[in-house]
Amino acid sequence: MAILLMTVSLVVLLFPIFMKGVGAFVFRETVENRELMLQRFGRGDREEVMADVRETEAARKPVYELMERFEDEMSRADSEFRRKYRSEYREVKELIGELMGPKPGGKEGALIRKRYGKVRMDRALAKLEQILMIETYDYSDTSRMGKKVLKPRRDIFRGTSLEPVFAILRKDINKMMKPGIKFYWRFLFDKSQDAHFFGGIWPEVLGTLYLSIGAMIFAIPFGIVAAIYLAEYAGEGRLTRLIRVSISSLAGVPSIVFGLFGLAFFINTMNFSNSKSVLAGSLTLALLVLPIIIRASEEAIKSVPRGYREAAMSLGGRKWHTIISVVLPAALPGILTSIIVSLGRAAGETAPIIFTAAVSVGKPLAVWQTLSQPTPALPWSVYNLATEHEAVNEIRHVQYGMVLTLVVLVLLLNLTAIIIRKRVSKKLRR
Amino acid sequence: MNKKMGYYKGGKDHSEKNSFPNISGKNLLMSDETRLFRRIGSLAGKSVLAVIASVSLLALFFIFFFIIRDAIPFFRLEGIKNFFTSTAWYPSRENPEFGALAIFVGSALVTLGAVVVSVPLGILAALCLSDILPFTSRQYVKPVIEMLAAIPSVVYGFFALVVFAPYLQEKGGAALAMGTWIVLTPLALVLSVILGDILSSSAGKAEKKLKMLIFAMIIAVISIWGIYSLSDFFSGIKVVSGTNVFNVSIILGIMALPLIVSVSEDALSAVGRDMREGSYALGATRAETLLKVIVPAARSGIFAAIILGVMRALGETMVVWMASGNAASIPEPWFNLMEPVRTLTATIAGDMGEADQVTGSSRYYVLFAMAMCLLIFAFISNMVSEHFAKKARGMSK
Repeated sequence: MAILLMTVSLVVLLFPIFMKGVGAFVFRETVENRELMLQRFGRGDREEVMADVRETEAARKPVYELMERFEDEMSRADSEFRRKYRSEYREVKELIGELMGPKPGGKEGALIRKRYGKVRMDRALAKLEQILMIETYDYSDTSRMGKKVLKPRRDIFRGTSLEPVFAILRKDINKMMKPGIKFYWRFLFDKSQDAHFFGGIWPEVLGTLYLSIGAMIFAIPFGIVAAIYLAEYAGEGRLTRLIRVSISSLAGVPSIVFGLFGLAFFINTMNFSNSKSVLAGSLTLALLVLPIIIRASEEAIKSVPRGYREAAMSLGGRKWHTIISVVLPAALPGILTSIIVSLGRAAGETAPIIFTAAVSVGKPLAVWQTLSQPTPALPWSVYNLATEHEAVNEIRHVQYGMVLTLVVLVLLLNLTAIIIRKRVSKKLRR
Repeated sequence: MNKKMGYYKGGKDHSEKNSFPNISGKNLLMSDETRLFRRIGSLAGKSVLAVIASVSLLALFFIFFFIIRDAIPFFRLEGIKNFFTSTAWYPSRENPEFGALAIFVGSALVTLGAVVVSVPLGILAALCLSDILPFTSRQYVKPVIEMLAAIPSVVYGFFALVVFAPYLQEKGGAALAMGTWIVLTPLALVLSVILGDILSSSAGKAEKKLKMLIFAMIIAVISIWGIYSLSDFFSGIKVVSGTNVFNVSIILGIMALPLIVSVSEDALSAVGRDMREGSYALGATRAETLLKVIVPAARSGIFAAIILGVMRALGETMVVWMASGNAASIPEPWFNLMEPVRTLTATIAGDMGEADQVTGSSRYYVLFAMAMCLLIFAFISNMVSEHFAKKARGMSK
């Protein structure tokens, strides 16, 4: 039943991530998204998109006309009327601007996010709800927490020329936004636009690949050689004991301490790079996964049947020759498993790369730049976007998309490892 | 190949000088020089291998060296006593104060919570795997455990922050009450069956079933009543913020679960068939065998598993950073799990960004002092757990 609980918690954990993560790849796009894709990425048929834009502009026209009429009314009305409606109207105007982007012919914002309306229909509908209803809290019952109360915004503008706008917005939202299903597989391979408001997560994906593969480059040779030494050559001497103790201690060091060490040693002392870099991050991660590789590889080498070794020796092979040509190939699946598992571990670790490699915004790097430059990476960006981004709720889909990518990457690696192990154990049983 | 052929060829005309077979005049035994040469070669190769294998030793040494090197200036600048006894954590003030007691307590609370969640469940799961469930079911459970262990910590943190915390905040009391039922009811049922079995074991065979039933019923009723009052109490709780000790404890507990399960399962299955069979042969029931023979025999291994679980929870950064609330204060009263806390790891991760520009200040060194505490604690508990694991291995042999 405890096992059931584990399974349940795995499902509870993965279910929302999968459901909402898919939303980053498949969603209902609005006409704004088509416009964005055309202008920023040069994708889509120009004629078609422009036709869509014109169509929606026509549908939006009554809204803008009503707004102009209201502004007119306000400028002509007395000061009391103006005071009553000014801030309320400004809010409505702002919200409508956020929903539909800048007014055609109006001035464009400096930030890309100001130049387009809501690109996703779910966000557009949420914004629409925000325009139609005002959220207030009812504190009349002091013994409980404030209750959320929705009040139609229309009531505020009752009797003014702006009143019909709300009905029009509600009725014609589909005509104004022209939603359509979009399969955005390029989410993985697009650069982000304007701090992840638009676009994809390629710099993060690439950074994660660099970091984890870099860690492997350093960790694999040392790990496997150490495993060979421990499994085949080491006696029960003091040095061996010391090495074993240090491996298990290294495995127990908290990951954040690795990060601090990476900062103090690789960056501040050795000066591999002026500040954070992929190189320093990879080295730190390599230390982190080293114990995993050594232990699992040693296990794999030791589990090669004695007969293999004895047969090779009896053919006149010397020890190192035996190890390289007989023992290692036989232990290869096990070693491979350890490598794959630690690749997943390196890809998912956040704490060691905070101080050594990760930045929140960055371009995809070329290979030679990894020696000196920091990179965005999936795990760090998940943290960063979920806690420190200025519009956390607006870009939930990006966060979920990143989490999904990371989880799928890690679980696929682990699944591969499990499958390899299963095949090996079958082989050994035979 | 050639050598082998040569052996047979040479075997026919071995020389008179010695009785060993000769290959076209050459002794098959290595000459002294070759032997020496090979010896030196293998020794050199071995030592190169040993050097490479010592990288982890070197790394550990360097980690200790560099962390302590940067931690010492802090104690020299700010003194030791204040750091461990004061709760005034104001690192960014003009006259900064570095009292980290609240942060130590925060770490301890979160870890304790995680242990409370994961240890009973983990050991139960390990028992199920090693003794109760059929062997084949392990095939399906192991991947689940591995996947749970493989999911990156930032994903757990994201879940805690984005899914679990709002849920707690909105439906805190109800969720808690429901959670109490879900977790404790099966536990209570199993407990009542096992205890009933043990309490009635002294009775004769005919009485036994009846007695067991009665005992089990009594215990079940008592525990259900306990659960009911507990959940009633919980449902009255108001959760002000979803990012608190409780949230983090649950998530950390789930994260530590795979480690505890796999290590203690190893320990339990290392106990061996003969112990179990001996116990059954003496007429013990399955529950008695489990509780009185197997668990005590695997005690040290289970203990090692618990320590590893503690280490996992204590050393975890991302989950606590994202979902513990990061308030450097001791909850009031200390067992109030609905309060936010701040932990050592989260402080290191969170403050380094600001401290980085002033490398060399107390603000920078204090983080290394914290890391040193973590490191030393991790090292000691690792030693202890190794010791117990070794003991467990020795016992099973």
